[in-house]
Amino acid sequence: MNVMGSTHMASDDIDSLNTTAETNRSAVIKQWSLYLIKRLGILLIVLISVSILTFSVTRFAGTPLYAAVGVYSTDEMIAERKEKMGLNKPLWEQYATYLSGLARGNLGSSRRTFAPVRDEIADRLPATAELVIFAVGLSILWAVPVGALAAFRPKGWADRIGSSLGQIGVSVPSFWLGLLFIYLLYYVLALLPAPFGRLGGADPPDSVTGFYTVDALLAGDLALFGEAVRYLLMPALTLSFTSSPPIFSVTRSAVSTVLGSQFVEAARSYGIPSRALKFRHVAPNAAPPVINIVAMTFGYLIGGAVLVEVVFSWPGIGTYAVQAMDFSDYDPVLGVVLLSATIYVVVYFLADLIQFLLDPRLRE
Amino acid sequence: MISKFIDTQSNLLSSRYWRFIGRQLRRPPVLVLVGMLILAIIGPWFAPYDPLEPQPMNTLAAPSWDHWFGTDDYGFDVFSRVIHATRIDFSLALLGVLIGGGIGSLLGAIAAYRGGITDSILLRFVEVIQSFPVLLFALALFAAIGGGARNMVLAIAIVNIPMYLRIIRSSLLPLRTAEFIDAARCAGLSGWNIVLKHFIPNAKGQIFSLFVLTCAYAIQIIAGLSFIGLGVEPPHPEWGSMINSGAGYIMLGVWWPSIFPGLAIVLSVYAVNGLSRKQMTGQIRSSI
Repeated sequence: MNVMGSTHMASDDIDSLNTTAETNRSAVIKQWSLYLIKRLGILLIVLISVSILTFSVTRFAGTPLYAAVGVYSTDEMIAERKEKMGLNKPLWEQYATYLSGLARGNLGSSRRTFAPVRDEIADRLPATAELVIFAVGLSILWAVPVGALAAFRPKGWADRIGSSLGQIGVSVPSFWLGLLFIYLLYYVLALLPAPFGRLGGADPPDSVTGFYTVDALLAGDLALFGEAVRYLLMPALTLSFTSSPPIFSVTRSAVSTVLGSQFVEAARSYGIPSRALKFRHVAPNAAPPVINIVAMTFGYLIGGAVLVEVVFSWPGIGTYAVQAMDFSDYDPVLGVVLLSATIYVVVYFLADLIQFLLDPRLRE
Repeated sequence: MISKFIDTQSNLLSSRYWRFIGRQLRRPPVLVLVGMLILAIIGPWFAPYDPLEPQPMNTLAAPSWDHWFGTDDYGFDVFSRVIHATRIDFSLALLGVLIGGGIGSLLGAIAAYRGGITDSILLRFVEVIQSFPVLLFALALFAAIGGGARNMVLAIAIVNIPMYLRIIRSSLLPLRTAEFIDAARCAGLSGWNIVLKHFIPNAKGQIFSLFVLTCAYAIQIIAGLSFIGLGVEPPHPEWGSMINSGAGYIMLGVWWPSIFPGLAIVLSVYAVNGLSRKQMTGQIRSSI
């Protein structure tokens, strides 16, 4: 009887444990979905405001009407055009048309080439993406380890090198640094090719991903791969130099915060070997902010690499926007602006989400 | 009462105040900045050549005793142009940051004071503006209203507003529940008075460090915009457009038309950034 009672008690305990786990899980799911809905709502609001902004630019920019009819036009021509372009409708209706066009991927067309902006951007986006991925990769390679080392030994050599590189990277304008690299690495030392785009005049590999390095590897052409990397190196180095300081400083402060916390002290006092301490205790805890800043850098650079692209005649979306600007061709400019803002906002959202997933403390 | 009066007097004129300035003047960034400010103000009278007078017989001449920084592709004297550009770049950056920073700080203080809907609307505004890369935002703005120096100041002001708004707001947020604010409210002070006389003064330190950082940033944005041909019109001396005009020759080994104006940017950004060292921000706060 007594034995029975105790087992009964035990199973009861387990039952109640199960139910609390259940309620816990459903509470967590509820929390998550609430968080997701809130973040998605904010994302939507921001995206809509961005589109309102670009829409008002199209109405501001000497109205699309005069661009379409030209300087020599009669009143009837203007009236007819107005009717055709829907400019007689109320503003909110025009905006609705604009927005539904955007939703279907319609970014207007270039006044210069008459091609749809969407296609022209799609052609150029891989060039920008390849450059930015390469540059951010370079930044991670140096900034994260040096930042961690700097946190382990403040005022040591890693800290000094990292901080001074960061200081220089913040003060030097990217386009000027690019020119300096061209002078030193191309003209004086002749190590890297001239700044003529992705491959100079050579034929690109068959397009699969649009990334020349990947495509060259897929085609099995190692020489072309090497050439593509050589062309990538200088602009990527420039971009990495000016965009990596935040990655360094965030890594440094994240690691030093974790190092100063009590659980690290506890782990150390248990006698956990320093290598295990660094990789199993410090690294996972310091990772979320670092991942966050890397993602943000990436999202920012898609539209923020304009100047470096121009210096190296890199055929990406930034160069595209600047060239279109020279011809007062505004649809491409706004297409690029809209795209890069959208990418930035979405990446920001994803970075937040990753942080939320990685860091249980944020869920409370 | 009288002693207090004398005290403030002696604070302004006393050795403590001057010692602070003297100590700061010994720091390299401050020294560089003061030098550049002097150059911006009186430099143009001492520049050896007219920055807008080309010498067609003497284009792309290497640096020499006659032309310290060489000449560019039109035969303009690079040294004189760098000096003249100091004034233009500094004043445009300063103007833009002052306008944007003023509006941004005020809005930040209002957001912190009011909270609620005002706060969340202003925060959404910040998010929208900051989701554009700065340069592309300026590009879109210029597509709407055209380029030029005046609109560049406007662009700088607009991108500065959210930076100040966010940081001033978050630093003033604790004040919303502070006792002395309650006391001020009970004493019958209006919202405006509380924002202007209690909130803003409490953010002085933050505003100063932000001001320094954003000025450095603004110099870079101006140079970047002029580099891609927007902003200051080409014949006028401006660092970014000077770098642009020399960019095509750098592959041929002609480095001076681009490298010298760039050095001026680097130097001024370094000097301005150097002001914002934490200890100095603290010292300034305690000395004001």
